[in-house]
Amino acid sequence: MNLVRKVRRMMGVDTRQVEYAFARDPQHGHISQSRIAEKWVKTTCGYCSVGCGMLVGVKDGKAVAVRGNPEHPVNRGKLCPKGLSEHHILSSPGRARLPLLRKNGILVPVCWDEALTTMIARIQDIQQRSGNDALGVVGTGQLLTEEFYTLGKLVQLGFKTRNYDGNTTLCMASAVSGYKLSFGSDGPPGCYDDMEMADVVILIGANIADNHPILCQRLERNKNRTLIVVDPRVTKTAMMADLHLPVKPRSDIALLNGIAHVIIRDGLANEDYIARHTSGYVQFAASVTAFTPKYVSELTGLAPETIVDVAQIYARSKAGFIGWTMGVNHSTQGAVTVAAINNLAMITGNIGRAGSAPFSITGQCNAMGTRESGFASSLPGYRKFESEADRQELAELWNLNPETIPTARGLAYPDIIEAAVAGKVKALWFIATNPAVSFPNYSLLEQALRNVEFLVVQDGFHPTPTSDFAHLVLPAAIWGEKEGTYTNSERRVSKVNRIVEPPGEAKSDFDIFMDLADRLGVREALFPGWSSTADAYLEWQRISKGRLCDYSDLTWERMESEGGLQWGGPRLYAEGIFPTPDGRGRLIPVPWEPFVEQPCDEYGFVLNTGRTVEHWHTRTKTAQVEILDKMVPNAWLEMNPTDAKRLKLKPHDRVTIASRRGEVSNLELRITGIIAPGQVFMPFHFSETNSNRVTLGAFDPISREPNFKQCAVKVQRTVAH
Amino acid sequence: MTGTALADPEFSPEVVSLLIPQRSLEAGEQFRFHFNMTKCIGCRSCEVACNEQNGNPANIHWRRVGEIEGGVYPLTERHYLSMGCNHCLDADCLKGCPVDAYTKDPLTGIVLHSADACIGCQYCVWNCPYSVPQFNEERGVVGKCDMCHGRLTDGLEPACVNACPEAAIEIEIVNMASWREDYAAAESPGMPAASQTLSTTRITLPQRSAAKLERVDGGRVRPEHAHLSLVFMTALMQCAAGALILAATFHSASPLLLVFLLGITTFALNISIFHLGRPAYAWRALKMWRRSWLSREVLLFGLFFGALTASTAAACWNAYHPGALILLDLRLLLWSAVTLGLAGVTASAFIYLVAARPAWNMVHTPVDFVLSAGLLGATALPVLLHLAAWAQNSLLHRSSAPSPGQSLARVTAAVTFLWLGNQALRIVRLNRSPLFEGRASASLLNTVDLRAVLITAFAGIVSVPILSLNEKPGAALAMSALGILLTRYLFFVTVVPLNMALTFVRAEQR
Repeated sequence: MNLVRKVRRMMGVDTRQVEYAFARDPQHGHISQSRIAEKWVKTTCGYCSVGCGMLVGVKDGKAVAVRGNPEHPVNRGKLCPKGLSEHHILSSPGRARLPLLRKNGILVPVCWDEALTTMIARIQDIQQRSGNDALGVVGTGQLLTEEFYTLGKLVQLGFKTRNYDGNTTLCMASAVSGYKLSFGSDGPPGCYDDMEMADVVILIGANIADNHPILCQRLERNKNRTLIVVDPRVTKTAMMADLHLPVKPRSDIALLNGIAHVIIRDGLANEDYIARHTSGYVQFAASVTAFTPKYVSELTGLAPETIVDVAQIYARSKAGFIGWTMGVNHSTQGAVTVAAINNLAMITGNIGRAGSAPFSITGQCNAMGTRESGFASSLPGYRKFESEADRQELAELWNLNPETIPTARGLAYPDIIEAAVAGKVKALWFIATNPAVSFPNYSLLEQALRNVEFLVVQDGFHPTPTSDFAHLVLPAAIWGEKEGTYTNSERRVSKVNRIVEPPGEAKSDFDIFMDLADRLGVREALFPGWSSTADAYLEWQRISKGRLCDYSDLTWERMESEGGLQWGGPRLYAEGIFPTPDGRGRLIPVPWEPFVEQPCDEYGFVLNTGRTVEHWHTRTKTAQVEILDKMVPNAWLEMNPTDAKRLKLKPHDRVTIASRRGEVSNLELRITGIIAPGQVFMPFHFSETNSNRVTLGAFDPISREPNFKQCAVKVQRTVAH
Repeated sequence: MTGTALADPEFSPEVVSLLIPQRSLEAGEQFRFHFNMTKCIGCRSCEVACNEQNGNPANIHWRRVGEIEGGVYPLTERHYLSMGCNHCLDADCLKGCPVDAYTKDPLTGIVLHSADACIGCQYCVWNCPYSVPQFNEERGVVGKCDMCHGRLTDGLEPACVNACPEAAIEIEIVNMASWREDYAAAESPGMPAASQTLSTTRITLPQRSAAKLERVDGGRVRPEHAHLSLVFMTALMQCAAGALILAATFHSASPLLLVFLLGITTFALNISIFHLGRPAYAWRALKMWRRSWLSREVLLFGLFFGALTASTAAACWNAYHPGALILLDLRLLLWSAVTLGLAGVTASAFIYLVAARPAWNMVHTPVDFVLSAGLLGATALPVLLHLAAWAQNSLLHRSSAPSPGQSLARVTAAVTFLWLGNQALRIVRLNRSPLFEGRASASLLNTVDLRAVLITAFAGIVSVPILSLNEKPGAALAMSALGILLTRYLFFVTVVPLNMALTFVRAEQR
């Protein structure tokens, strides 16, 4: 800045009038001139799986503004604070711009050719020495469906390793497994409109006001609903409830079984539906006989009358909706808890009708896409590894030898990490995920990251706590820089469009996969004639045709004009026919078990973890958006006033929590009645105060999802160093 | 106002919202915000939408969300406040503004602020009981919520209203006279009393609330900006005025002394403009002298400067041309300077008597300013006279005016006693203040670092009469200056402004 300008600024002659000027946008009216765009690009939000439609304003090749798309059926023009500031991440300073290869211990910029040649050479060398499965690949819920489909084929059929999973195992795997247990297939049966149409809405372990705020308008518009929120914490969502059930941690199964008990006891079950559309009723009914209101009251801490009331309210509803998120999924019993929810829906016939559904509210923008097309926990199109017919069908569609298709899934995410610690997996490739913050029991993960011979981190951001460990960093394009589709919680497939060019030499994940396929020599066999994600989508439409998740009619063009399209229509299972061998939904007895690590004298608190509306996951994105970062710049620990008094702690004191596995220091103490005595809560977003240094490495035996929600900790004042 | 009442015919909005009034304003009516606390989920979309609309940097929030909480688990209640400007009927921001940058829009009742007129004095920031106006450091001017006046003109709802997924914010029409009669609906836990400025924001509170809701950020009290230029400006002006009064009283106003005092005044007035975000437009501060204490301070100190300059010139002229001026004229000039100086110091103190800053809004503030003038004047005068005598003897070879000597030392001792008494009483009263903000100021004074500053300041002041009576004028001046500058620093940093409840975890705004 020249001297004259400096003086003019200092004297206040120049008040940056130009930067701060207002003008009139032809479509959106009076607004800061800095937000006036030359064109608006229709797209879908890249944060959570609500799947809001948005318009991004572009000027001079830069994204300058975001607006909710008023015509989009999901959000009708509304966006949460993350969506409203999403354009800022595209030009944020933390973006990965160049491929980086570790040489003599430090990451140095290299060209793409060297990066990918090295990657192939190192991985092939390891696979030749230790077998194909020595490569572990961990994906994400953040890519395009087209990219998931491509990546799955590349990993399973190109690199020929079965050890491929996604970070979706850290969030939605229990819902997937639960749906499979009950209905024979993954696939959320309901839709968002059900939240508006139901007269009873039960949310279990779902703090949607913080995590899916745009869904709250559905409840706001539903004037006749009774909202019941089951959560040990008085969340923002609990405050919206007509009835908040402050259950003891992980007593949800007891509550669900108790509700079933009352429904059956009082003759409120839909016997017609049970008889025509379900199996296993007798065993199920027997399994809940022990769950009397009195017994459930002991387990949950709720009054017996409350349990009876809730059962009657739900069973007598015209349309009952049960939604859940991480409170249910993040559990060693997550999959069966989902089955217990499905049990309630089936014994009351609350499925497949308007307003009636058991419904998982998904986390990442395209976790659904990877579940359907991903080739990780199942074959693309909800096909099963163990089904010869499914493998045969795919082989024909792909024009491949059926022998090349694996007959069983490989290791799940936590097992890949354990195999890396054990030295069985020797190369790891992480794509758009940040396990150094998001994976439970950090010390074990760190061992894995240090143990492998070759670690590739492909991400839109660098450095991240994970890319710091990498031998090779591949800079990837992110939301807003590529074209394809996302599928949201309600199975709505929406178009995602390119708004700007990726920064530096960053390339789309699709292009990186294609380049690798080329170098592996599998491009023509696996991806014949493909040049863009549009080609991948066309093949995926063909592959999914006739399956439950049938995309064959959902063209990109229709999505653009209709604002997203739901596969399977608004609701699944309207006819009461399920994708099980006998076509019936399975009622599954679910035993209640206490959570693994109970508090004891030394570790007297139960730690609960969660999220806050201002941040997204491990903050690789939201820490780059200044307004979000400033709104909540650090983690905090919630503690009940009675506990704080006993420990002689004051608000804003800095505290350390410690478990048997590690400790987290310098947490800002919030003394609040939001949290029950004996429990503490902290958000997991912050790498600086990483909750996963203390969380437990215990996993659901079916879904392999970690138990992030309960572990035993002690709390003391942080000692200043 | 409908989409058409104020609307530009060339502009047709794509959506006409029902969250803005569908009829035109009639006489005696204005627009206001309605915030429905029972709908708000604390998602903070309004805050981000506001910053995007107005192109503000991340550390400035014209709309802010706060948290209030109460009750015992599991019957805990937590609610949110989302507030922009309250577009008050009796807006204190507007009354205090020295440059008339604020207008209450005659058509809509919106309190508008002009960044062009603003000189960045930040007096509105001090005056608003909701801490709504915010100083934008990179611009050097203040800014605030204007209810998206420009959007309303186009028939569009404000950005916050547009963004809210729960329709918790809307614009409605209020009859100003009846609101004056009954503004109970403006009150809410976590909000300062509406009576001060007659906030027009209507707040729908949760019904059947069993819990006593309180702000969650009460434990978060942070030092305010030190305003160092004001610390020095006020102390130096008080020093000059105090020394002049005493010099006039003790008949020791020699031409050289007046030259020194003029030098101090010139220096002080020059640094004062660097408190402003826009020093180039300092002169505009004179504009609103009929209404604003800040304008009055500028005016009176300006006149003081003029009178002092005239006195100095006259005294010098008189020294070289004895008898050319009658002594009475000289005295008249001098005493008018004295009067203006005292008036300036008082006006300067009245700037700080703002209801929005309880720790300032006490009788102790003007008392302190006057006593500080006395103490600084009484300790500076002997030193300046000494300096004048030395200069006169060695440079001008003239005999000097008589020095007040011991009698001034006794004045010093008496003023010191009063000064300490005033400060001590202020701290005691802050500790016992019925207002949270008053007690919070006391607790800030009791934090480790600031307590050390306070003790140092008091120790310095206690030593002043001892040094003075023992004829150590230089040391006495040093100690009084140290004590008063530190105390003034504490005065600025320990004030806790009234504000709406904010969030528990947050980054500092500055």
